[in-house]
Amino acid sequence: MKGSIGQKLLHIFVWIFLIGTSLFVLYPLVYVASAAFSDQQNIAALNIIPFGDGISFTNFTYLFEKTDFPKWFQNTLIIAISTTLSTVFVCALSAYIFSRFRFTLKKPMMMSLLVLQIFPSFVGMIAIYVILLRINGLNTLWGLVLVYLAGNIPYNTWLVKSYLDTVPKSLDEAARIDGASHFLIFRKIVLPVAKPIIIFLSITSFTAPWMDFIFPKLVLRSSKVQTVALGLFGFVTDKKNMFATFAAGSLLIAIPFVIFFVLTQKMLITSLGGGAVKE
Amino acid sequence: MSVSLNRDGSSKNQVLITSILFMGLSHILYFKQYIKGILYTVTEVVGICFIPFVINGIYNLITLGEPQPNLPVKERDNSIFMLIDGIMILTVISIFLIIYIMSIRSALQEYRDFCRNGLKSKAQNSAKHIVGNAFPAIGMAPAVLLILFFVVVPLVFSACVAFTNYSAPEHITPNNTVDWVGFENFKTMFGGEATWTSAFGRVAIWTLVWGVLATFTCYIGGLIMAVVLNESKIKIKGVFRSIFILPYAVPSVVSMLVWKNLLNGSFGIVNRTLMEIGMIHSPIPWLSDVWLCRAVCVLVNLWAGFSYFMLLIMGNMTAISQDIYEAARIDGASRWYTFRKITIPLILYQTTPLIIMSFTHNINNFGAIYFLTGGLPKVADSTLTSAGGTDILVTWIYQLTMTLMKYNYASVLAVVIFIVLTPFAIFSFRRTKSYKEGEL
Repeated sequence: MKGSIGQKLLHIFVWIFLIGTSLFVLYPLVYVASAAFSDQQNIAALNIIPFGDGISFTNFTYLFEKTDFPKWFQNTLIIAISTTLSTVFVCALSAYIFSRFRFTLKKPMMMSLLVLQIFPSFVGMIAIYVILLRINGLNTLWGLVLVYLAGNIPYNTWLVKSYLDTVPKSLDEAARIDGASHFLIFRKIVLPVAKPIIIFLSITSFTAPWMDFIFPKLVLRSSKVQTVALGLFGFVTDKKNMFATFAAGSLLIAIPFVIFFVLTQKMLITSLGGGAVKE
Repeated sequence: MSVSLNRDGSSKNQVLITSILFMGLSHILYFKQYIKGILYTVTEVVGICFIPFVINGIYNLITLGEPQPNLPVKERDNSIFMLIDGIMILTVISIFLIIYIMSIRSALQEYRDFCRNGLKSKAQNSAKHIVGNAFPAIGMAPAVLLILFFVVVPLVFSACVAFTNYSAPEHITPNNTVDWVGFENFKTMFGGEATWTSAFGRVAIWTLVWGVLATFTCYIGGLIMAVVLNESKIKIKGVFRSIFILPYAVPSVVSMLVWKNLLNGSFGIVNRTLMEIGMIHSPIPWLSDVWLCRAVCVLVNLWAGFSYFMLLIMGNMTAISQDIYEAARIDGASRWYTFRKITIPLILYQTTPLIIMSFTHNINNFGAIYFLTGGLPKVADSTLTSAGGTDILVTWIYQLTMTLMKYNYASVLAVVIFIVLTPFAIFSFRRTKSYKEGEL
């Protein structure tokens, strides 16, 4: 009897806890949506009751007609896709070599990958700027892709290498005896086997460019080549506050991500639990 | 031309000297490996052609150019270009030396094979075969080159700048040159000038406190959410889980900027709501009081960061084999007991490396501070040092670079971060399975 009352109390407590936390989590997000659909521009004028200003699409039309938002979106998409493809190729290839071959300097190279990975890459931003200047990569999308790709290599190579170490070597050795070339083995055996970790890698390298700010600001100068994060940040600087436009743009970016993450949460949980932990 | 080698191993020195003399020479002379030999030879010829350029570059690296106030700005020596070019030249030289050593080792290896089996057949020297043997080198090349030029060179450059006087207003290129100053900047930062030293101490301590607090709040928050969701018998668990994933899914720039606006002291929604419902009478200075602002940083970071740990820990919980629970239940253990004695220890054990990783991530968590507070509120020394009350080392580096253009001090801070964080990286390296099993 006593146990069941305790259980009930616990049950109620858990409910209150979950609902309370949900409110805390949803709180800022509700206001993003509310501001995006309001007809007010400044946050100071925004109604404190969500959606209290009614529903209007002025912010979205402004975003598409008066700003370069579609262009920013396109740029970011191009950057994200090229970064992902090149990262997967380069990292998987070098991870395969690290995992399956013996060569001089292997250990120091692995070690330096790990040390390099802890650095925030913008520490060297002046040098990156000058190097891009030298190869005419400033104000271009491929210049930014190169910077992202190079920054992605240390950690992700390590990640894929750890995963490949757990895959039995007998698979590719059998193919080697049959006379397959190294590259063929990489393409036909290693890539398919490493699929879970490669999906994880693709997700992380695809999402990063949407949120990064420092490198786009450094590399991309004119509005036509900017990325979404840079453009959105421009709406809420100290000089001007166009919170509603910012919210509308953010909503357009966040919604695909949210849908994607919610739909793939089961897979995320297993890939995070399995892939990242067992280094 | 004598091309005869003894097969008893006595010609080793002859091969060694020939291969040192000119790259690829012994491949051509002794082993009839023309493709490989010519590739090596061409590499060396190209290398020799660049010697004047290399010497000039290294000379510039040492002097960093002379001040030429009478020349137009465009024609003056640009110390920073010289510094970066010098570092790149050194990088290229080390690549060249590595290829050189590889060619010598390859020649000696060929000689050992020759002693055993005689000359290799044409098929073994074909282009296809060479490509196959060189696969590790070719496959690693893109990664190595990119890392060298976009990660290593910039970092070395940044470390070098710490030993120069590259700073506004007097030593900014292209108007003026920059000079080597030895440990001058380190002295200023660590005791030389009271303002800088105290600012550094304040920022360094806050960075550490921030790193610890941010990591633990997110970890514990994620742990609690994962446990509650996993253990409770609530039917709509999936709905809650989807809600709790949202902070992870929303780009962090967006969420930080939204919080910044919501918490704005004068017109933010939070204060206006609280005043409307009569809980407070004057606005709370969320982002303008130093200590309150720091607390807000940790709290908002908890909002943004707990999802990741929740997902990680849930992944771990589902990975724990059901057999263990089965066995415990048969032995009569209660749910609470198995949870305490099995689930928690296993999760803690498996996620410890991630706590370390997350700590290093938070120390470098630029976005969480920069977009939320921009390093503000201002404190006593902010005007001079540009370090605000919530600035951590990385955001301070950014401010020093972008607003004050004190590149030398920014680089000193980068070196400090390097020295502090490298042991963590090496520690986690030594923990890895492949290292322990001696595979490397």
